[in-house]
Amino acid sequence: MNLALFAHTWRANRTRLLIVAVGLAIWGTFMPIIYDSFGSSLKDIFASGAFPPQFTQFGGGDIFSLSGSVAIGFIHPITVGLNLIFAVGFATAAIAGERQRGTLEVLLSRPISRRAVYATLALSGALFIGIAVLGSIVGTLIGASLTGRTAELGVGQLPLLWLNGSLLYWAIGSVALFASAASDRLSPALGASLAFVLVSYFLDVLGTLWPDAAWVEPYSVFHYLDPKAILAGLPDLSDLLVLGLVTVVAVAAALVVFPRRDLAAPS
Amino acid sequence: MTAIETLGLTKRFGHRARPIHPPGHPSGGVVHALEDLTITVREGEIFGFLGPNGSGKSTTIRLLLGFLHPTAGGASVLGLDTSRDSVAIRARVGYLPGGIAFWDGLSGERLLDELAALSGRPPVRRAELLDRLELSAATLRRPVRDYSRGMRQKVGVIQALQHDPELAILDEPTEGLDPLMQNAFYAILDDLRRAGRTIFFSSHILSEVERVCDRVAIIRTGRLVALEDIPTLLARRKRNVEMQVDGTPPDLTGVAGVSDARIDGDRLTCRVEGDVAPFLAAIAGATIHDLTIEPARLEEAFLEFYAPDPIDDADDEDGDDDPTAGTVPA
Repeated sequence: MNLALFAHTWRANRTRLLIVAVGLAIWGTFMPIIYDSFGSSLKDIFASGAFPPQFTQFGGGDIFSLSGSVAIGFIHPITVGLNLIFAVGFATAAIAGERQRGTLEVLLSRPISRRAVYATLALSGALFIGIAVLGSIVGTLIGASLTGRTAELGVGQLPLLWLNGSLLYWAIGSVALFASAASDRLSPALGASLAFVLVSYFLDVLGTLWPDAAWVEPYSVFHYLDPKAILAGLPDLSDLLVLGLVTVVAVAAALVVFPRRDLAAPS
Repeated sequence: MTAIETLGLTKRFGHRARPIHPPGHPSGGVVHALEDLTITVREGEIFGFLGPNGSGKSTTIRLLLGFLHPTAGGASVLGLDTSRDSVAIRARVGYLPGGIAFWDGLSGERLLDELAALSGRPPVRRAELLDRLELSAATLRRPVRDYSRGMRQKVGVIQALQHDPELAILDEPTEGLDPLMQNAFYAILDDLRRAGRTIFFSSHILSEVERVCDRVAIIRTGRLVALEDIPTLLARRKRNVEMQVDGTPPDLTGVAGVSDARIDGDRLTCRVEGDVAPFLAAIAGATIHDLTIEPARLEEAFLEFYAPDPIDDADDEDGDDDPTAGTVPA
């Protein structure tokens, strides 16, 4: 960890981080409010058969409870998209983007090892993701308070929900940072990382909505984010373990590849 | 003591040809970026590293700084091994990359502060360098993205030298500087030399190498073709001679050191290499109206060293040349 590099990275990203965290907080606030305002109406609509019953399984099932609504908010494309700004955007730009621009060369001409550069960027990314996910948690709390449903929420489970959400994006971020460390240009790193996320998200949604394809769900990292179970007080610690394992493997691979690779002149 | 030493330093890129490849696509190959480079740079000298784009200059520098790993051979900088001790080397070196890029959203001042912090050494020379390169405080408060190319290059020079490194590795440092600023930069280099600092200076601008360097290595297609001090190199160069004579021109056939003799009316041109005494003796009897002997220039040395060689060709990964031009099919 290099403090000067961390300070530089923090200054370069703090405004973006603030916007993302506030955006996630606003979105998180909406979920309890939507549940409070339209929950019973939605239940009637689904009961009328207007939508296939599989749709109620989205987000872990029971979308007509507060925890179910919050769970949908956590895996909603808006939440995922905002979190990917750091999990994929920051991670791929941090090494491959700097390399393509030529600024990595200026950085690496200082007395900092490549491992220290990688570790600093990885920890910075982890911090940014943690703060962004915290935005969602804070928003959920605000929304529950505004609707007077805090007791219904299971506030004691929120730290674990934060950890589960953070671990998901740390796993994605570490895969993206590995792609970044292994690439000379931004677009291949970004493309590979987004492909990983999109395929993963597709498999999770497919498995959730189509019972015959449920077997594909474990192949998605999104499968291991389970807000509904956590808020219900039934967390599956193996979810955290799997996401942690993905993170560790990607970090280890990057720590092997990045220091050993040639950094030719930027093209 | 030596500041830089390379021994058989070699770098090749690419892969051996595969037996199966798509029709119309090259079968792969190895780019010989640098082959068997052995040079020594003494402490306290300004060492010019001369070659055209794509000759292997930047590859050499990147090997010295640990950005690339050698295919064969090795190098040491300030007595430290480039493969094992690159972090320790970079703590004592200032580096200006060719075509330097910055974090453009920062102001010049903030950028220099952050780079100094990353260097871990105080910017003891910054004020002096800002003054000599005429970068004002008002300019430094503006974002780097608004800087002209010359201003960016000045910032590049300052960030490389502001912490007073023992060794400065400068890749084409005068690129983008106007002639006045080039002179200011040369004066800075002179001062650094007087202070005992070592400068490793890559360039394809021959006149500046001739002007500021103590010694020069000339590299061609990844191979060292000359390593000389500047006076020796210049002394070996051919001089261009042009004279106007009355009557029969002197016969220069077989005169030692004379070549390319041509007669056009009363005008005679030739080239003279080495000792000029035999040439002067040969023209002693002629009636000469006008005589011009051009001083030897490094440009001519350069052009001779870079005369096309149909057998041996290579390239490196940097520069503007076609990167496949030097690919040797494996």
